[in-house]
Amino acid sequence: MVLAAHGLTKIFDRLVAVDHLDLGVRRGDVFGFLGPNGAGKTTTIRMIFGLVYPTSGHVEVLDHRVPRDRREALRHIGGFVEVPAFYGNMSARRNLRLMGRLNDVTDEKRIEEVLDVVGLPDRADSKVGDYSHGMKQRLGIANALLHRPELIILDEPTSGLDPQGMKDVRELIRELGSGGTTVFLSSHLLHEIEQVCNRAVIINKGRVVVEGPVADLRPTSSSVKVLTTDQDRAREVLGQLVGPQAVANEEGYLVAEGSDEVVHEMVRRLVEEGIGVDAVIPAHEQGLEDYFLGLTRSSDVDAGPADPHKNGGAR
Amino acid sequence: MTLLRSELTKLLVQKRTYVGWIGLVTIPLLMVVALNFASPAPRGGDAAANTAGAANSFFSLAADNGLLVPLAAIAVLTSFLLPLVASMAGGFQLAGEAESGTIKTWLVHPVSRGGVVLSKWAVAVAYLLAGLVLVAATCYAVGVALFGAHDPALLSGGTVSIAHGLWLTLLAYLYVGLGMIVVISLAVLFSTFTDSSLTATIGTLVLVIVMQIVGSLSYFDFLQPCLFTSHLDAWQNLFQGSIDWWPIGKGLLAFGAYIVVSTVAACCAFQRSDVLV
Repeated sequence: MVLAAHGLTKIFDRLVAVDHLDLGVRRGDVFGFLGPNGAGKTTTIRMIFGLVYPTSGHVEVLDHRVPRDRREALRHIGGFVEVPAFYGNMSARRNLRLMGRLNDVTDEKRIEEVLDVVGLPDRADSKVGDYSHGMKQRLGIANALLHRPELIILDEPTSGLDPQGMKDVRELIRELGSGGTTVFLSSHLLHEIEQVCNRAVIINKGRVVVEGPVADLRPTSSSVKVLTTDQDRAREVLGQLVGPQAVANEEGYLVAEGSDEVVHEMVRRLVEEGIGVDAVIPAHEQGLEDYFLGLTRSSDVDAGPADPHKNGGAR
Repeated sequence: MTLLRSELTKLLVQKRTYVGWIGLVTIPLLMVVALNFASPAPRGGDAAANTAGAANSFFSLAADNGLLVPLAAIAVLTSFLLPLVASMAGGFQLAGEAESGTIKTWLVHPVSRGGVVLSKWAVAVAYLLAGLVLVAATCYAVGVALFGAHDPALLSGGTVSIAHGLWLTLLAYLYVGLGMIVVISLAVLFSTFTDSSLTATIGTLVLVIVMQIVGSLSYFDFLQPCLFTSHLDAWQNLFQGSIDWWPIGKGLLAFGAYIVVSTVAACCAFQRSDVLV
């Protein structure tokens, strides 16, 4: 395991922000850390970085125990928590020089490389105080990559970015993953995790709701949406096959329940009846966000309150 | 060393660094202007016996001798401006970084928290000492140009050689510098408890002022040895005919105790604190 959490718990006064959380991130994973706002994601990341002390439990990064061996663990990690913060009166290049020194990176070429990777070479000498939110996010990623860490932890890296910026960052994360870097990506966007991660955990109220390969996190639905040249006749045909009550109308599509074998039979029968089939789409694509909300809602039943310091607080 | 170098880099790109230094240098310049253009005040060692009025005494003496202008300057600056600059230098360190969020960017790198506190403390100290050097240099330059350089007069009357006078002035500056390092240490400690640099700065300044007031009330005489502010003027003993080292020694002991206790407490507090900004 590159990163593991064992019974990680953080209680602020009487608020349980993280509740006996267990995690396991394998080498090469692009691991999604998914949860609604206030689920305890940022507090967990703070504990991984050693910024916050766990009330109980601990984190292991490549066999270095955090908080005990925090400095050794941090040599292998790059990343940021919430919005990356830099010195506004210095240029991006100077900020990276300053931060690089802390990891013994003094090579100017490496600074150029990471600025290039995140698309900031033209603004490298501008003061960071003049940067947009999106540019600061990019600089945060550049800083995370600077010392070529084995594990990169990104806390909502696409938050506040425009669509193109989101696409670029997700592409970059995919590239990092395919290059063998382990990435721990926190997000509250299910589709984002689906696009870039191979494994994920969903947490709510500081507890794990579900963990596993991203494909397995999808709801196991056997419904399909069908669009044909004659929807009325198609409804009759499908009704004969799976029962009229198993066929519904949804936004112009027919939604029919049935296993993979039944779907093959549906298509064959429609074609036999001379009905043109325009599209057959798995219906669960529409239900992912609802599924996520359902999972996190059901975990609310007996869970405690969430991360009280998500938007900053007293040190 | 890496941390120290990084802290120095940050210090030198901040505008407030230069504002503080300019403020420190402005006061002696104004003082010299006042000395040069005001009507002559009673001069010489007449007021020397009155230690409480030592600032006035140095002020009067400086009008005859540019070499005494640096002493008049620190006698004036020690009461408020130096503690203010020292409070700012210490208070802006950790709390200022917490305020801007950069402290977490710093701490996700493999740095020791104790090392971060000590490097920030050291840079604040370097900033203050550089400020004192600037004050002394400005005072010597302008003072000697306007009032000349003669054998410095003592508060108790009589004079010493220029070389000996320079040596005593250096000791006086080191002593005051150490007193202001106490203020920095307290401000660094305060800045580990808050993420507002203004709160840390003002908190420290209020503590210094309270100590000064308590020290001036005879009812609280029994507290005098424990208040570092009561020892801040002990350097003036260096300019008596026969130097009484005991008040200076007591001051150094008090300063040392404050510095060590505050700095160790700051390291311990920061070591154990949750960084939530």
